[in-house]
Amino acid sequence: MSRLLEVEDVVKSFGSNVVLDGVTFGMDRGDTTILIGPSGSGKSTLLRCINRLTELDSGTITLDGVEVTAPGADVNAIRRDIGMVFQHFNLFAHLTALENVTLGLRRVKEVPKAEAVERGRAELEQVGLIEQADQYPAELSGGQQQRVGIARALAMDPKLMLFDEPTSALDPELIGEVLEVMDDLAARGMTMLVVSHEMGFARSAATEMLVLDGGVIVESGPPAQLFEAPEHERTRRFLSRLTEMEAGG
Amino acid sequence: MSDAEGAQAAARPTAWWTGLTARQWLGYALAAGFWGWLVLRWVNDWFLPPGVGTGRGQPFIAVAPIRAAAASMQATAAAGGPYAVVAGWLAGLLSALAFVVPALPALAEGVWLTLVLTVASITLAFPIAVLLSTARVYGGAGVRWLALAYTELIRGTPLLAQLFVLFFGLGLTTYIRAVPGVGTGFIPDQAIWVAVIGFTINSSAYQSEYLRSALQSVRPGQLTAARAIGLSQLGGLRYVVLPQSFRYAIPGWSNELVYLIKYSSLAAFITVPELFFRAQAIASTTFRYTAMFTLVALFYLAIVLSASHVMHWVERTTAIPGIGGSRVRQL
Repeated sequence: MSRLLEVEDVVKSFGSNVVLDGVTFGMDRGDTTILIGPSGSGKSTLLRCINRLTELDSGTITLDGVEVTAPGADVNAIRRDIGMVFQHFNLFAHLTALENVTLGLRRVKEVPKAEAVERGRAELEQVGLIEQADQYPAELSGGQQQRVGIARALAMDPKLMLFDEPTSALDPELIGEVLEVMDDLAARGMTMLVVSHEMGFARSAATEMLVLDGGVIVESGPPAQLFEAPEHERTRRFLSRLTEMEAGG
Repeated sequence: MSDAEGAQAAARPTAWWTGLTARQWLGYALAAGFWGWLVLRWVNDWFLPPGVGTGRGQPFIAVAPIRAAAASMQATAAAGGPYAVVAGWLAGLLSALAFVVPALPALAEGVWLTLVLTVASITLAFPIAVLLSTARVYGGAGVRWLALAYTELIRGTPLLAQLFVLFFGLGLTTYIRAVPGVGTGFIPDQAIWVAVIGFTINSSAYQSEYLRSALQSVRPGQLTAARAIGLSQLGGLRYVVLPQSFRYAIPGWSNELVYLIKYSSLAAFITVPELFFRAQAIASTTFRYTAMFTLVALFYLAIVLSASHVMHWVERTTAIPGIGGSRVRQL
């Protein structure tokens, strides 16, 4: 049986700049995979290729047996199955926290209103924001906004969750509450692909780490292996820099 | 109880009129007088059966006593004596009043048409403007170019020239007159239709510019997020981008409404008997241009101030934390 997510030989360039140069990896159900790499190495682009917010040049991506990259694929149906959490939260500014979570249920899945509200409240409860259900994004802290963003994605019952630097726009004291929610999610068996440089989270939650550099995955393996005995000198230097930053900051 | 609920509970029991300043009371009283009088006039002229009310076009106040009082004051002033200056001043005031009162019924009918032109045009232009602005911001190259060409052509040529082309050049009136019912009862006659079409075309171009900048104020990440939960591009625009941009557009939209109220006076040049047309007709028969156009300017001012007050109210009631509802204009 094939794996939940299979990414094969994905190539993407913007003009003459080759961002992804043959990326191949896979994920099983319940995996938490951390994607790291220097800035500009194509981490976000790879994430956006998986739910086709960005069109790739060549290669194939398969999710749960469905080829995402097939020419006639229904992109809206594919995106419904893939949750995405953004660096800058991207909450709908005119909707309350609850309405942010229920919009997709109401307008994409066409769930009746009462049922959508019930589901939305359950998701907010899960991320600890039931008290803030009727507040607008501008009234919430960054950490709270990001937790609403996670609840919004979870409400669609995704098979896979993509996190694009979910904590890098947050003040340091707000990072913890978001990581806690993500830890909890990983423990509940959600399949998560996370672009993040939070090494503490990687150690505690990740099943695998991928190092993307120069458009290819240069190293992969369980976090313990990468931290203790990286194959490449470059990986070791990069990881030690991240760990130092964390200790210092 | 959350903060938002607390604020709502605190705001609920107070009625809107508590806490009004004396100046606001005066404003509301003047507005009530102006609009109350207009509504009475329209009811009197169009709905009351013969024998009830003053009859169509007849002023509510008799003019003869005012004229008589003006003449007697004039006589007192001419006789000299200690009160001659005051009497002269009163005589002038009374004779101005004697001039204004008979003109008022015609002006009230003119105001009705001015309002019809403005409200119909701005409302009809709105959906066109939504399409134009969305095409400008999100459309493909061809659609974008078409919308741009339309907007620039309309905004770049005089409104009066546009009305003349429609009225005299294209002869739209011929076709409209052929539609059964036009010009009978409450269905306006052909010149008004042409004016509404002209103002709609014109206003759609201006409104689309206000909406375009409002669309661009919505952070693009939100549309990406909408796509990411499975909404189509159109769905994202409808449920996420447009509701926000409408709020951003309200100040510009108020501006457009205020302009259109005054620009609707250009309909006078294609024979629509709206407010300015009536004023001009009276002025050219009485030769009292200054008095007449001062009076009509006050009418426009009253309409414009009322409209901007209403729009400010709309802006406040539709505001959401983080979007719209600037306090800058609060008086």
